[in-house]
Amino acid sequence: MFGYAGKILFVDLSTRLIKTIPTDKYAADFLGGRGIATKIAYDLIPPDADALDPENVLVMMTGPLTGVAPSSSRIDIVSLSPVTNLLGGSSAGGDFGAALKFAGYDGIVITGRSKEPTCIRIIDDEVTFHDAEACWEYDVYDTVDCVKKLGREDVQVACIGKAGANLVKTAGISFSKRNLAARGGLGAVMGSKNLKAIAVAGTKGVKVRDTKRLMEVNFEIQKRIRESPAFKKYENWHANIALSLLKARRPYFGDYEEDYWEEAEEAVRNAKRFFEEMATLRPNSCFSCPLRCWAWVEYKDEEAPMVACQGTFPAILFILKIKDPELAWKVYLRLQREGMDIMGTAAVIAYASRLGLVKLGTEDILWLIDEIVNREGPGNVLAEGVKRASEHFGVPAVYVKGGMESWSSDVRPFRGVALAGAVSESGSISRAIHGFPASSYYTKPEKAKKVAREIVGDESAAEPTNYKGKAKLVAYFENEHIIADSLGVCDTPMLSIPLELWAEAFTAATGIEMSPEKLHFYAEKIRTLERMFNVRRGVNREEDTLSPRLFESVIRSGPWKGVKLDREKFERMKDEYYKLRGWDERGIPTEETLRKYELEW
Amino acid sequence: MPYLIVHEDKCIGCRTCEMVCSLSHEGVVNPDLSRIHVLGYKGEKFPIMCLQCEDAPCELVCPMEAIHMQGGIRIVDDEKCIRCKMCTLVCPIGGVLYDYINHQMIRCDLCGGDPQCVKYCPMNVIELVPDDAVPEARKRGVRILYGEAD
Ligand code: SF4
Ligand code: SF4
Repeated sequence: MFGYAGKILFVDLSTRLIKTIPTDKYAADFLGGRGIATKIAYDLIPPDADALDPENVLVMMTGPLTGVAPSSSRIDIVSLSPVTNLLGGSSAGGDFGAALKFAGYDGIVITGRSKEPTCIRIIDDEVTFHDAEACWEYDVYDTVDCVKKLGREDVQVACIGKAGANLVKTAGISFSKRNLAARGGLGAVMGSKNLKAIAVAGTKGVKVRDTKRLMEVNFEIQKRIRESPAFKKYENWHANIALSLLKARRPYFGDYEEDYWEEAEEAVRNAKRFFEEMATLRPNSCFSCPLRCWAWVEYKDEEAPMVACQGTFPAILFILKIKDPELAWKVYLRLQREGMDIMGTAAVIAYASRLGLVKLGTEDILWLIDEIVNREGPGNVLAEGVKRASEHFGVPAVYVKGGMESWSSDVRPFRGVALAGAVSESGSISRAIHGFPASSYYTKPEKAKKVAREIVGDESAAEPTNYKGKAKLVAYFENEHIIADSLGVCDTPMLSIPLELWAEAFTAATGIEMSPEKLHFYAEKIRTLERMFNVRRGVNREEDTLSPRLFESVIRSGPWKGVKLDREKFERMKDEYYKLRGWDERGIPTEETLRKYELEW
Repeated sequence: MPYLIVHEDKCIGCRTCEMVCSLSHEGVVNPDLSRIHVLGYKGEKFPIMCLQCEDAPCELVCPMEAIHMQGGIRIVDDEKCIRCKMCTLVCPIGGVLYDYINHQMIRCDLCGGDPQCVKYCPMNVIELVPDDAVPEARKRGVRILYGEAD
């Protein structure tokens, strides 16, 4: 196979049996990355399994462009999510995906549960298990250092911190010390399998079909990324991202309160000063990407790599209402070292403040993080995520599909985001809304309107509070995300480059003819399969919703004063969305749709 | 004769250079077969490749006298080379490599005058300069290390 490494590695932790199967088995039908991972999850995870059962399967898949095209560093991770008990998915950049392909594997499928804590080491064809008893409670940084001591310094490491080991539902999977497959609690799945880390180094490389053509397309893609306005912006992205979210009217404060946080501007200014004057930053990129969206940040005697594009630091500022950048930095370090989903954990802490367990904006936050990581005191309940905690405490919380903590955008005024949060199978809005015109409506109105015009045929669809056209926008951008996640391309650069070029890169790398239309067809097919996974677990229209509080509250102050989310209009968006997807009014794919995509229950 | 110089302070560690070097020379993407390597320490990144030394240790150590300068680029005579890999040991910067797939010694050959790493590096870290520009570039390197001169 060209472009693909050609094999998928299966590791059963219960029996320690290892086998490989040819990627060929899935590639033509499900493309790669998220597509193939979903198919494997669909085939292997029993419909009645629980996320922390040994029957759950953890699939990590790269795409055909991972490692061979610009900005293609991604690896997609799919499993049953312990947060929602539905299909979970998250992805990460860095160098792990490329290293895995260079070792000869397109992906790793982990089944079963190890008796003792273990670590898997993959050096080309050599796959070995190592005792991880001693490092089981290590944080991510110490784990990475420890795994590197096993023999090769240049291994790339996927691991969990203490939060994952303690089955905390907002634990992610860390890739080396910086990239995180954050959402869906997949770190807890790793923890439940007694799997501390996977280390990989490869020396085989990836064959491509047409070297000359691939180099030409790569040059063209890279040139366009470098010429895009975003490229310049990334230089100071750490300092400016919070500001731009504020300008775009996108953050929410605390536990989705109705009142605007008046001190937000001050917090943003302080953060800007922190990155521009107090800390030193050394810009860096993931494999093959020119964007520099992460930087090595040093402040006083602490240092950490920080990814800016995900908006994790702004989430800390806004959700935890932190004005003091030093405290925000400490919170960042703590959450990152423990390998925790920053958005999700921040949302949990904000909810705890509603219960009076913690005062936002204070050092108490650090204490509560420790309680959650160690599952002590109230931390033991909060570690179960916001929805289960709200059931326990009887105080309503805010979440999206299946109980997933929401993303750092108020979903009440952003109708499309609200819809995406309800229909997305993983509840992870970040897998659907990047590139959404509403997100940039107040910062780049002309561009936002143009995108809406092109996709919906009506520029008013770009306006956040407008319900019109949102279903189509959600379906369209979900497709684009699925394409990115399945090819192995990062969605930020992918969306700014015409799909034709990515299709061409695919053709050059694999020798298989591809077109934008075909890519969208794949995306729709994969989307349908994701739906089938959840329908098989009992999901229908009822589950495609948000927590009741989001429909009941009215925003009282700030730029969104007076706005509320209308349940009836929301339900109508769902109808529209189902129709576009070829699902019936209960949200179940019709026979005709299944035939169209050649899928079977 | 032009040389490659590296502005390592601008490098973002994306390894695009490794990707295109192995692609253009070997037709595969394999950083281990790339003639340029990006070493990293925390956030700092250092791309390294053969810098075509004047009194090259690799050439001097070679027991078969297989290495010699041709048109400003050091090449290895494959017929003479016995793959003892002594040259990899003595190169002070790790510029000469062993291609364990095709079993031969490899190093930067300036891509015949149009280096692909120069063309593809998004941050313009690698530069092809005429040899009389090298002293200036080295001075610049010293300034980066020790701070601006007065
Ligand atoms: S391989 Fe090393 S020793 Fe030989 S010329 Fe190049 S830099 Fe100098
Ligand atoms: S391509 Fe340029 S920026 Fe990227 S690693 Fe190589 S030298 Fe550094």
